[in-house]
Amino acid sequence: MLRVSRMTIAAYLLPTFLVIALIDLYPIFYTFNLSFTNKSTFNTLDNSYHYIGVKNYQYVLQQTGGDFVQVLLITAFYVVVCVALFAFLGLITAMAVNHPRVRGKGFWGNALILPWTVPTFVTALIWKFLYNYNFGPLNQIIRLVTHNASAGILWLDQPTPAFIAVVIANIWMSYPFFMVISLGALQSIPADLLEAAQVDGASGWQRFRYIMLPLLRPALLPATILSAITTFQMFNTVYLITAGGPFTSGNINNPGATEFLMVYMFDRIQNNGNFFVNYGHIATVAVLVFIVLFALTMMSLRFTNLARETKR
Amino acid sequence: MNEQPVSAASIKAVTATGTATKTVAITGERAGVASLFRRFRKNSSLAGIYVFLGLMTIFALFPLYYVLQASFNATQALITTNLQLVPTHPTLANYQYVIQQEPFLRWLLNSIIACGVATLIALICATSGAYALARFRFRGRQVSLLFLFALQTFPGLLAIYAYYDILTLLHLDGTIIGLSLVYAAGNIVFGVWNIKGYFDTLPIELEEAARVDGASYFTTFMRIILPLAAPALAASALFMFIGGWNEFVLAKLILNPDNNSLTVPVGLFQLQQDQYTPWGYFAAASVLVSLPLMALFLYLQRFFRSGLTIGSVKG
Repeated sequence: MLRVSRMTIAAYLLPTFLVIALIDLYPIFYTFNLSFTNKSTFNTLDNSYHYIGVKNYQYVLQQTGGDFVQVLLITAFYVVVCVALFAFLGLITAMAVNHPRVRGKGFWGNALILPWTVPTFVTALIWKFLYNYNFGPLNQIIRLVTHNASAGILWLDQPTPAFIAVVIANIWMSYPFFMVISLGALQSIPADLLEAAQVDGASGWQRFRYIMLPLLRPALLPATILSAITTFQMFNTVYLITAGGPFTSGNINNPGATEFLMVYMFDRIQNNGNFFVNYGHIATVAVLVFIVLFALTMMSLRFTNLARETKR
Repeated sequence: MNEQPVSAASIKAVTATGTATKTVAITGERAGVASLFRRFRKNSSLAGIYVFLGLMTIFALFPLYYVLQASFNATQALITTNLQLVPTHPTLANYQYVIQQEPFLRWLLNSIIACGVATLIALICATSGAYALARFRFRGRQVSLLFLFALQTFPGLLAIYAYYDILTLLHLDGTIIGLSLVYAAGNIVFGVWNIKGYFDTLPIELEEAARVDGASYFTTFMRIILPLAAPALAASALFMFIGGWNEFVLAKLILNPDNNSLTVPVGLFQLQQDQYTPWGYFAAASVLVSLPLMALFLYLQRFFRSGLTIGSVKG
């Protein structure tokens, strides 16, 4: 730590904090404020909107038939399924590449990391085409294998296949991150530790469970939480493939099968192109989403060394 | 590319196989059949690993290969219900069309401006603050750090109406520069955290020594600390740039819907939304957008590992 005058400190901090206050804090404050008003398309021009207390919160949490809660739960389910699957896949891929007797590590590593390097919107649009019913290669393969020219899965028009479709696309783009993290952690495990265990008669599973896993934990845990937070906020992969659909309930205002939090937000803002938009309701949803993300982040504080870092 | 980790791994592999043969030699004193059986089991599990790696590679590369070959495919050839993996009449027509007939280059330019300006603003604003948070002690420092950390998880989409208001006030609504301001909001917070993490790793003796030699702290900051932090600054800048490059929803909500003022993600999405757009055009555009970024990413891989992992995501 350096001893400097207060003026110096202020001079360094001011540009940063000023800009943050203007384009980060003010918008958040604005949104909180908005969530307590009845502002909508109708009363914006003549400024006749006013504070209505917590009515928006009551409305969002109860009167829309539990829309928000339903979306929150389905998002949480998506996050758990995706993170569990790509963390597992990333870890075993890393272990396979890192296996002492596997040759061509450079090739495997670079080939397997490629999905991570593709821009996410391209990934989503590619998978959307792969899932195409008539011309997509996935259904073409199914037809080839089953020798049935009319076979195929309606990937994006049925709730469960659509959900599986966005899970697969997310796994495809996200497992390399875990592979890279795991590879780094695996390579830092001293080889003699594993050898010693082997000499002592530990089985492969025991070596994994009692030596590798505890040593991998400090690297994998923050990565898992980080992935959970990003998956929670995932928009591109879902919206660009399914647009939140399919909407099977018959009521266009009910959330679709893959309408996760951010897609839900976006759809409320767009409101199916309707002219009337209730800004207060949308701001309320935003505040609730923020609270969820904030809680997740604070949880992650316990597992990373952030708390230590701020105290230094 | 990626040379260091790989060579480290192969050295480890060599030592590990050495010990493996040693164990075999020790146990080899027992019955030969048992050791044969063990060797068979070992080799079959190795074969299993190769099969797994092969399947994973197909999973990883098939979508990419499919798009690549589709981009060289004549339009009609993709409209078939049978699987086709090699273009029958390879052509560059798709690339030609996308570059000449669609405002693709315009989208590219828009994306570069939006991401570039956002990265520049964020980098300049974040660096001095990050330095102060890393090196100075003052009241409210811990609170600001926690606060910044919480801000990091606040997606811009949630505050979209506030941004509409701010941009209207600045007469930047619907413009690329307006969009870049919104991107900068997210980038700054990420930047402060990441760059501060790197400053923390630089020894404080640097400043103290420079001070003894008569340099002011500001000179030291500009002449010594900043050049030393170049890798972290570059890695942060790259991550900010890529973040904006991938961004869809804010661009969709903020930019004028007119075809010429879109960024690449929104433009490509629009292109694909149109049912009559042949898929080959889209495939060609995807390849054009992805290749430079993929090459850059692969080239800078080890750089990320040093520059970024030192930052906020410390293992």
